This record gives sequence, structure tokens and C-alpha cells, in this order.
Amino acid sequence: MIDFFFSYASLLDLILVNALLAMSQYVVLRAGVFSLGTAGFAALGAYTSAILVTRAGWPPAMAIVVGMLLGTLASTLLAVPLSRLRGVFQAVATLAFVQIVLSVTQNWVALTNGALGINGIPKVVGTGTLLAVVVLVVAFLAAMGRFSVGRALDVIREDETVAVSLGISVPRYHRLAFIVSGALAGLAGALHSCNSYTITPGEYGFQMLVNVLAMVVLGGRTSVWGALVGALILSALPELFRVFADYRNVVQGGLLMLVIVYLPRGVADTLVARLRDRRLQRRTGATA
Amino acid sequence: MLLQQILNGLVVGSVYGLFALGFTLLFGINHIMNMAHGSVFMWGAFAGLYAVVGFDAPIGVALVIGMIAGGLMSVLLDMVAFRPLRKRGAPEFSAIVSSIGADLILLALAQKLSNTAVMRFPFDAFPVVIYRVAGLRIQLLQLVITGLALLMVGGLVFYLYRTDFGRRIRAVAFSEQTARLLGINPGWVNMQVFFISGALAGMAGVLIGLVFNSVHFTMGEPLLLRAFVIVILGGLGSIPGALIAGLAIGLVQTLSVAYISAGVAEAIVFLALFVVILVKPTGLFGQAGATMRVRRA
Repeated sequence: MIDFFFSYASLLDLILVNALLAMSQYVVLRAGVFSLGTAGFAALGAYTSAILVTRAGWPPAMAIVVGMLLGTLASTLLAVPLSRLRGVFQAVATLAFVQIVLSVTQNWVALTNGALGINGIPKVVGTGTLLAVVVLVVAFLAAMGRFSVGRALDVIREDETVAVSLGISVPRYHRLAFIVSGALAGLAGALHSCNSYTITPGEYGFQMLVNVLAMVVLGGRTSVWGALVGALILSALPELFRVFADYRNVVQGGLLMLVIVYLPRGVADTLVARLRDRRLQRRTGATA
Repeated sequence: MLLQQILNGLVVGSVYGLFALGFTLLFGINHIMNMAHGSVFMWGAFAGLYAVVGFDAPIGVALVIGMIAGGLMSVLLDMVAFRPLRKRGAPEFSAIVSSIGADLILLALAQKLSNTAVMRFPFDAFPVVIYRVAGLRIQLLQLVITGLALLMVGGLVFYLYRTDFGRRIRAVAFSEQTARLLGINPGWVNMQVFFISGALAGMAGVLIGLVFNSVHFTMGEPLLLRAFVIVILGGLGSIPGALIAGLAIGLVQTLSVAYISAGVAEAIVFLALFVVILVKPTGLFGQAGATMRVRRA
């Protein structure tokens, strides 16, 4: 049992970090914000904490907090103009943001060590810490989803006109979702950098953006469980099917297309909805 | 030296314009953000290259093959990735996701096919003719590319605004349901738009392959990212806007690569996109009606 745990500890860490990133993507998608910015905020968090720890000699815990704060700050600054844009344009603007962060991390060699990335970051974040953080974030998001904020986000996603007619300020909730998303991504990046010894700019590019998006689409974007299930499946799948490594992207692309066409609510959310339906049916059947 | 760089920039920019033209057709007119457009471009380049290397096709024929391959791939993409979503009336977001999925598949297949290698056109694929005008080196290829780009833009504008087919396309773009009531078959019109868009991408692919003499499975991604910049900068759905913005981006990029550095060039291009989308999201040549689609009230 212990051996099993140790041989899969790195996979578990990967799943947990991905779960955080997926939740950052889930928050915005739940509100109907087409943000692709998670990768950019994660890069900010990761680089901030890595630089503070290796160059400035800060204690890692403080560096991680500052990394998260920087992600939050960036998303707060972006949230104001972004909340005035419509769907696809939010996607393009955040895509541009990711590219800007990427080219800064690649080219500001004096600060970020360029394409080589930053090495020798002490590993202070273990599986336990990651697990604790994920549990806390899940609890936070689940609570947020249950109260009026969650309802408001759901209405905005399903139909903006209805939301406006109910007196819900769309830009306000979009800003809120976007800021939370930036904070979570910054946190995920900072934790990842203090967990994996080394970070490179390439990790936070288009590939991460696509991966994270795929997780949430696959799992479902109406409840926090969707993000968790998506992260679990897409992180574990390549490890389990090493034989098909060459066709990993074919499988992932095919999955994305199949799910968005035939199961638009995602695997987990469809399942949850079906269970709820059955329970309701049984209850009404009993009273009839 | 400066003039030479400007000339090179304009040539690269007109290929960018060609690529962005197909993208803006789908993005601006059909409201689809096709994330797989870069892969269509790359497959066009692959088809052209294999025609030259495998079948000794003359470059003109290879160009046409690249266009047809791009066009067919784009139509296929529509059938598999977009049509089921359109039928259901799915939100724009679904189309982005499903085209990202298609993009992953197309990329992986191309990587497998080319063994991740950088491929080149044979040296004499395009006759190397150089004219010297007032101290400038002008290659025949550069003239042909610029000419083709102008021809395509002119042709497209004529097709869209002066023919019956074009009127149908614009009717479907305005409202698919209204067009259906008027006896237009939207499926057929969409197929046309996708074919044209893919053919333009395929052509741009072969031309970029010739200009930089390298064909690689990742060649589409930087172009796709530039196309976003060009389409937004030029204005949503504006055809002349796409060409002008394409030229501008080509120019800015070539000059900043030559005089500053490649990394800074990248950052400048995306910073420009970012500023434009925040300050004037309808772009420089956007139509008046575009504001509604971009901004919230």
C-alpha cells in the first residue's frame, strides 16, 4: 500500500494541481465568462513565488501567498475592462494576455532565466498540503455555488437577458468570477512551482490552456465536481495508457469534440443531474 | 536596408492578410471562432509540399492542390465539428471547444505523418529570379505573393458584394432563419464559406512554406494567433480591414525582429491586440453594427 502510494505520489500531485487549475477555469465558465486566462495567471503565480524563493530567499509560504496575490491583482486589473466585452472577445483578450505573459517569461532573461526556466526551487509543498488546499477550495466553491452567488452565476450563464431582468448585474458577477479565477490560478501556479523543483515558460502556454479547458468541458461546468472529475480523468488517462502516448492528443481532441457535441453538460454534471431526476421521480412515484 | 525590411514586411504581411481573410469570413460573418484554422493552413502547406516532392508537380499546380486540400479539410471540419452544434443552437463557446478538439487531432496526425521533421521545398521549386530596383532586391516570389493577395481580396469582395452567391452568403450571415424563408439553403452556403476560407488558408500555407522554406506541423499556431490580432485590429468581418491590418502586422513584426528582437516583436503584437480590444473592440474598420456584438450595453 505504501509502495503503491509512493510510486504514484507524483501523479497524485499532478492531479491535485490540475484540479486547482480546473477549478479556476470552472469558476469563470460557470458564470459564462469565456476566459482562457488561467494559464497566464498560473504563470504569474509560479514565477513570482519561484523568483522570491530562489533569488530573494523569502520563506516559501510567504512567496506562495504573494504569488497568489499577484495572480489576483492581475485578474482584478483585467476584470474591469473584460466584463464589458461579450463572449468571444473575452476569449481573445485573455488569449492575448496569456501570450503576453508567455513572451515576458521567455524573453526577460535577467529575471526569469528565459526558455531554460527556473531550477532548484526547494520542494516544500507535498501531497498533503496540496490535498488540504484542494479540499479547502472545493469547500469554498461548493459553498459559493449553493448560495445566491451561485444562482446568479447560473442564470447569467444560461441567459443574460433573464439575468438582467431579474436585477442581476452581469458585469459585477463576471468581475467577481474572473477575480476568483485569477486567485485560484495564481495559487495553483505558486504551489506547483514549490512542488516540482523547476518551472519553464513552455508549461504555461497554449497546451496548458487547452488542457485546463478540456478538463472542465469534459467534467462539466455547472458544479465544482465537474472540474474535479475532469482533472482526474485527463491527468490519469495519459499515465494509464502510456502505450498510446503518440495518439494522446488524438484521444483528447476526440473526447473534447464528442463531449461538447453529445454531452454538452459534461460527464459529471450529466450524471449528477440524472441521479437527481431519478430521486425526484421516485419521490413523486411514492406519493402518487 | 530599412526599405528592404519594409518590403519584406509587406510581403509577409500580405500572406498574413490572406490567412486572416478566411478567418474573418468565419469569425466576422458566420460568428464562428475557428481554432482549427491554423491546422487547415498547415495541411494546405503539407499538401502543396507533398505534391511537389512526391509527384514533381509544378509549383502552380501545387498551389492549387494546397488550396483544394485546405478547402476540403475546412468543409470536413464544418461537417464534423460545427454543424451538429449549429443544429442544436449551441452557444459560441461550444464551437471554440470543438474546434480546439479538431485542432488537436489534425496536429497530432500531421506530427505522425511528418515524424516531427521540418520539411523543405526543393531549391528550384520556385524559379529564383531577383530584380534590382533602386538598390532593393525584389524576388519574383515576393511579387507573385503580393499580386495573389491583392487578387484574392479583390475577388472575394467582388464575390461577396457583386454576385448572387455573395448576396446569399450575406443573407445567411444576417439571419439563417430569414434566409431559409427566402428559399436559400444555408447548409450549402455555409459549405461554400468554409471551402473559401479553407482554400485561402491552404494558399497562405503553401506561400508561407515557400517564403520561409520550411514546412512543419506547428507552423499554424503562430499564424492563428496573429490572425486574431489582425481580425480584431482590422475590424470584425471587414475584408479590406483584414488585408490592411495583415500588412501592418507583417510590417511591425519584420521591423521589430530586424531592429529590436524576435521576443519583443511577439510581445508588441499581442500588446497591440490587447489595447485595441480594450479601447476600441470594433477595430479600425469595424462596421457600425459590430458594436452590439462586441460590447455589453
